[in-house]
Amino acid sequence: MKPRYIVGAVIAVICFAGSLWLVQSSTIEYTTVAKAVELKKRVTIKGTWKKSEESSYDTEKNIFRFVMTDDESKDVKVEFEGSKPNNFELAESIVVKGRMENGVFVASDILTKCPSKYEGTNSMKPTAAR
Amino acid sequence: MIPQLLIHLLFGLGVGTLLAYLFSMRGDTRYTVVARSGYYGICGGLLIVAVWQMVNIVTHNFDVSYVYGYSSRELASPFLYATFYAGQEGSFMLWTIMTAAFGVVLLPYVRRNGYESHVMVFYTLILSFLLLMMVVKNPFAFLWETYAKDGTTREYIDSIRNDLSRYNGKGLNPVLQNRWIMIHPPILFAGFASMSIPFVLGMAALVKKQYREWIDLALPWALAACGILGFGIMLGGFWAYVTLGWGGFWAWDPVENSSLIPWLICVALVHTMLVQQRTQGLIKTNFTLATLAFVAVLYSTFLTRSGVLGDTSVHAFVEPGFFIYLLLLIILGTFIVLGVGMIIWRWKDIVRHNAPFAKTSREFALSLGSSVLLASAVIVTLGTSYPIIAEVLKQPKVAVEPSFYNLTHVPVLIVMLLLNAASLSLSWKVTDIAVFRRRLLHSLVTGLLAAVVARLLGVTEVSWLMLVFAAWTSLRINGELAFRLLKRAPGKAGAYISHFGISLLVLGVIATAGYTQTDHVRMVEGTSVNSMGYTLTFLGKQQVEREYKDREKFEYLIRVDHGSTSTMVKPILYYSDFNKRQSPFLEPGIYWTVAKDLYVSPKALDSEGKPSEISIMKNTSAPCPFDSATIVELQRFDMSEAQQSEMEGYLKLAVIATIRRPDTTLERKLYCYTNGTAFVPIYVSIPGSTMKVGVKKIVRNNADPSQSTATFAFSDSTRPATMVREVFIADVSTKPLINLVWIGVITMVLGFGVSMGRQKSMRTRETEQPQQS
Repeated sequence: MKPRYIVGAVIAVICFAGSLWLVQSSTIEYTTVAKAVELKKRVTIKGTWKKSEESSYDTEKNIFRFVMTDDESKDVKVEFEGSKPNNFELAESIVVKGRMENGVFVASDILTKCPSKYEGTNSMKPTAAR
Repeated sequence: MIPQLLIHLLFGLGVGTLLAYLFSMRGDTRYTVVARSGYYGICGGLLIVAVWQMVNIVTHNFDVSYVYGYSSRELASPFLYATFYAGQEGSFMLWTIMTAAFGVVLLPYVRRNGYESHVMVFYTLILSFLLLMMVVKNPFAFLWETYAKDGTTREYIDSIRNDLSRYNGKGLNPVLQNRWIMIHPPILFAGFASMSIPFVLGMAALVKKQYREWIDLALPWALAACGILGFGIMLGGFWAYVTLGWGGFWAWDPVENSSLIPWLICVALVHTMLVQQRTQGLIKTNFTLATLAFVAVLYSTFLTRSGVLGDTSVHAFVEPGFFIYLLLLIILGTFIVLGVGMIIWRWKDIVRHNAPFAKTSREFALSLGSSVLLASAVIVTLGTSYPIIAEVLKQPKVAVEPSFYNLTHVPVLIVMLLLNAASLSLSWKVTDIAVFRRRLLHSLVTGLLAAVVARLLGVTEVSWLMLVFAAWTSLRINGELAFRLLKRAPGKAGAYISHFGISLLVLGVIATAGYTQTDHVRMVEGTSVNSMGYTLTFLGKQQVEREYKDREKFEYLIRVDHGSTSTMVKPILYYSDFNKRQSPFLEPGIYWTVAKDLYVSPKALDSEGKPSEISIMKNTSAPCPFDSATIVELQRFDMSEAQQSEMEGYLKLAVIATIRRPDTTLERKLYCYTNGTAFVPIYVSIPGSTMKVGVKKIVRNNADPSQSTATFAFSDSTRPATMVREVFIADVSTKPLINLVWIGVITMVLGFGVSMGRQKSMRTRETEQPQQS
C-alpha cells in the first residue's frame, strides 16, 4: 500500500511542478507603456483609446492603427494586425497584447472591455435621467 | 416591492425547510412532511418571482433597473424573453430556478430510496445560499434605488414615464441577439444545477454511513450532469464560431474554463463510480470527487462573478460589488469545509470497507484515466487561477496565454485516449495478458496506419502524429465495441459511443487547429477574387430586418464558386443603436460542407471610385472631383426666395458659389428645393466645360452659421456616371473537419444519455426485484 502512495504522490508533484513552471513561462505581464519599452518582450497593456488622435485601418495590409493612453496617462501608437474590433467605441477600456517595436506597439490581440456587455457599472446613468 | 419581499420570504422559507429536514433526520416524519411542503413552497414562490420578472420584461417596465439594463422596446420577442437571464441578477435567478426544478425530480427519487431527509437537508442548504444570492443581487431593484447616486429620483422617472423616447431601456448587446442565447445559458445552468446532486447524495451517504448504495443512486445523475454541461459547453463554442467571427470555438477564456473544470471532474467521477460499482474500491475517491465537482462549480462562479479576474478576462463580470464577492467566498468556503469535513469525519470508517484491485484490471486503467482527467482539471484550474496566485504572491499582474493549455493538453489527451483503449481491452478484476494483447492489437495497428496516412498527407509534427495515433486507436476499439453492442444490447453501448465521440472531437480539433488556412481578401463590388481555390464574388448587399428602427443590418452577398459548386454566403454588418451605430457588429458567413467549412469573416468596408460630390463650409473652397483645375467656393446661403417655391411643400433655397477655372472666374446662384429631408438640386452648366453642378444638400448650423455646409454634386456629359463602389474586406479561412468537433461532442452527449438510461433501468430493476420476492 505505502509505496504505491509515495510513487503516486511523486508523480503528482512532478506533474504539478511541471505545469507550474510551464504556466509561469506562458504568462504575459500586465504593464505600462514605459515598462513595455524597457522590457522589450511580449506584454499586455491596459488603457483607453485616445479618440482625439487619428485612427485608421489599412485595408491592404490589414492593419488597424490607433493611439492609446495607458494607466499612467502615457500615449502610445498601436498597430494591430486586423480590423477594428466590434465594440471598440463602446469599450470603457482596452487591453492590447504585443510588443514595442521602434516606438510603436505592435499588437497581436486586442480585448475590449464593455461595461454594457455584461454587468453595467454603477456610474452608468440611465438615459432616462439624462 | 412585492417580489423583493417574496425573495426575502423564500430565503426564510429555505432556512426553515433546511431546519425541518435537519430535525427529520432523526426519523420524525412530521418534520419531513413540513419540510417537503416547505420545499415545494420555495419552488412555487420561485415560479411566481420568475413570472413576475417575465411580466416586467414583456411589459417593458423600465422602472426595474434590470429590465432597463438589458432590454428595450425595440427588442424582438425571442430575445426579449432571453433578457431574463442576460444579466448577472437574472443568471443567478436562472441558476436558482434550475436548482429548484432539479430538486422537484430529486425529491421523490430520494424519497423512494429512503434518503429524503439526508439528501434534502444538503440540497436545501445549497438552494438557501442561492436564494441569499438573489436577496443580495436583487433583480427587482428600481431605477431610483440603483441610480440614486446619480440623482435619479422616483418623481423624475414618473415625470418621463409617458415619454416613450426617453423611457426606454439600454437594450441587449447585438452580440447576444442570436438564437443560441435561447438555449446555451439555460442548458449551462441546468448543468451547474445538476452538478450539485452527486454531491448531496454523497453527503447523505456519509451521514448514513452507507458507502455503496449512493453510487447506484448518484451515477445516473452524474452522467446526466456530464451530458448536460458538456452539451452546454459545446453550444457556447458553436455560438462563438457562428457569430463572433474570430474563427474558433474555444479560447481558454476563464468563463469557458470555469464550466470545463467541473465537467472534467464529473467525468472523472463517473469513471471512479463505475469502478466502485464493480469492485467496491475507491470509496473515498468518489466522495472526494463528488465534492470537488460541486465545489468547482462554486469556485468557477467565484472566479467569473466576483470580479477577481476582472482585469485579465475578456468576459468576466466587472466589479459586481464587494458584498457579493464576500458572499461567494463564504459559500465556497462553507461547502469546502462541509465536504472535506464530512469525508474526514468518516475516513476511518470508510477505510474498513475499502477493497484493493489488481494492476491488470479494467478498474486500474479506469482509475488511471480518471487521474489523467483530474490532471487536466488541475492544469486548467491552475491556468485560470494563476492571475490570482500571482497577485497573492505579490508578483506583477499577469495573464496566462492559451498556448499553456494547448501545450499541456497534447500529452494529456494522448495518454487519455490510449488509456481508454487499454481499459477496454482489459476485463474487470483480472485479465490474462495474452487476451489483453490480442484485443488491443487491432486498434493499435489502426492507430499506426492512421498516423502513417497522416504523415503521408503532410502532418510532420510528432506530437500531432501521436495524437492522431491515439485518437484512431481509441476510435477503432470503441467503434468496434459500440457497433457490436448496438445490434445486441444497445443500452450497454453508452460508454463506447461517448468515447467514440471524444476521439472524433480530438480529430476535429487537430484538423481545424492545425490546418486552418487564412487569407486576407479585398473584394470590390461586382468583381471576383481567388483565394485558396475558391472564387469569391462580391455581388452587393441587402438590408434585412428593416422593420426594426433601432438598427441597420446588411447581408453582404458573396458568391463562392468552388469546382462545380456555387453557393452564397452572407456575412453580416450590423449597425445598432446599442453603440450609437458607431461601428458595426460583424458576423461571419459560413459555407458549410462535410469536409471543410469556408469561413468568411468581415473585417472592414472601404469604397473605391471617385465620389462626384464635395461638401464644403461657408467661405471655403474645394476642387471639383472630375477636374482639379475647377475650384468651387461657397460664398453664402440665400434664403430670401424660400417661400416662392414652385414645388408644393418645398422651400426654395439658394447657394451663392464662386467657380474658378484657369481662364475665368464666375459667380453662380444655385437653387435647390427641400422639404426638410429630401433635396432636389437644379443643375446648371459650368461655362467652358462639359460639366454641370447642383446643390444636393444644405446642412445649417444655427449655433454657428459659419459651420453650415453645402454639398455640391457634379455630372459630366463626357463621362459615364461615376459610381462609388463598395469594397468588402474580409478574412477568409478554411476549417477542415470542423464538423467533427460538433459531431464528436453530440455523439459523446448521446453516449452519456444512453448510459444514464441504462443506469436508471438497472436501478429500477434492482428496486423492483426485492418487492417481487
